[in-house]
Amino acid sequence: MADDANRIEIDKDAVRRDLMKLVLTIVELLRQLMERQAIRRVESEDLTEQQEEELGTALMHLSDAMDELTEQFGLTPADLNLDLGPLGSLLPRDR
Amino acid sequence: MITYLYAVGRDLSEIPDVGSGGVGGGALRLVGEAGLQAIVSDVEREAFEDLDEHREDLAWLATVARAHHGVVEAAGREHAIAPLALATVYLDDDRVRAVLREGHEAFTAVLDRITDRDEWGVKAFMRPSSASGSGSGPERPTSGAAYLRARRTALREGDAAVTEAERVADEIDAALADLAVAARRHAPQDRSLTGRSERMVLNGAYLVDRSAADDLRALVGRLAEDRRLDLELTGPWVPYSFAGGAT
Repeated sequence: MADDANRIEIDKDAVRRDLMKLVLTIVELLRQLMERQAIRRVESEDLTEQQEEELGTALMHLSDAMDELTEQFGLTPADLNLDLGPLGSLLPRDR
Repeated sequence: MITYLYAVGRDLSEIPDVGSGGVGGGALRLVGEAGLQAIVSDVEREAFEDLDEHREDLAWLATVARAHHGVVEAAGREHAIAPLALATVYLDDDRVRAVLREGHEAFTAVLDRITDRDEWGVKAFMRPSSASGSGSGPERPTSGAAYLRARRTALREGDAAVTEAERVADEIDAALADLAVAARRHAPQDRSLTGRSERMVLNGAYLVDRSAADDLRALVGRLAEDRRLDLELTGPWVPYSFAGGAT
């Protein structure tokens, strides 16, 4: 019985970690999309200097926060990806 | 029991010497017809009846693949053989004879193509980026605008590096194909398969005259010299990639 209880405990941790991994993967996808979108807007010069600075700062903080969170859950950037089979991977492999 | 077909040759007289036998430990036999010999063994019918069910069973597939490859490899050391796809089974030996008769022309063409030739594999990997490392390395962007600029450069450089690596891979493939009798490019393998963190940009198979094996090694050495890509030469293999079209 004690063994069974332990096993459930371990599974809970695994579930939590996997769920966190999935959430972080989706956040990372959005972060990368926003970053690319921001770069595109800078390139097409439809941002004021002020807006560019604010957007850049926000993205920089987001990137730092992602790094921290990933580390906190014992994950690496490479873990934050989904193999979509024939479609390749969800995120580009090199950040 | 049904008949599992490993490979077809035209100058086989002895059963290849494989210690562990064929798939499922079955004894290997030769079935001859129309000047061709098929290497076969008996396998349990049930195991191969519903292949779709097994497709997910990696352990089972691995066992079959190992046995299959062991037989093909042993026979291919001495003779030109056309290996068949994994898990090619027929109801009985008569069916195998019919396949040899009907496929005679195609098997002969394949055997002509691969006699005295080996398959070699060349894989090319991108090198860990040294150029972009210096740019995005130590100093942290001090402002939001600087961060965006740095990310923009990094993304650009990354894309450009991949494009350039793929161009070099095409060059290497063309040079190897010139020396080879036939060449095929397989899809580059994913990192989870290669176990390397660098991106694979070339996964080529080359059918090379046995007499030109040293030339191939020298060519790969020369191509690797400029160190633009990491090259990995493997072989000689039984020409799986060039034995298609027979069945």
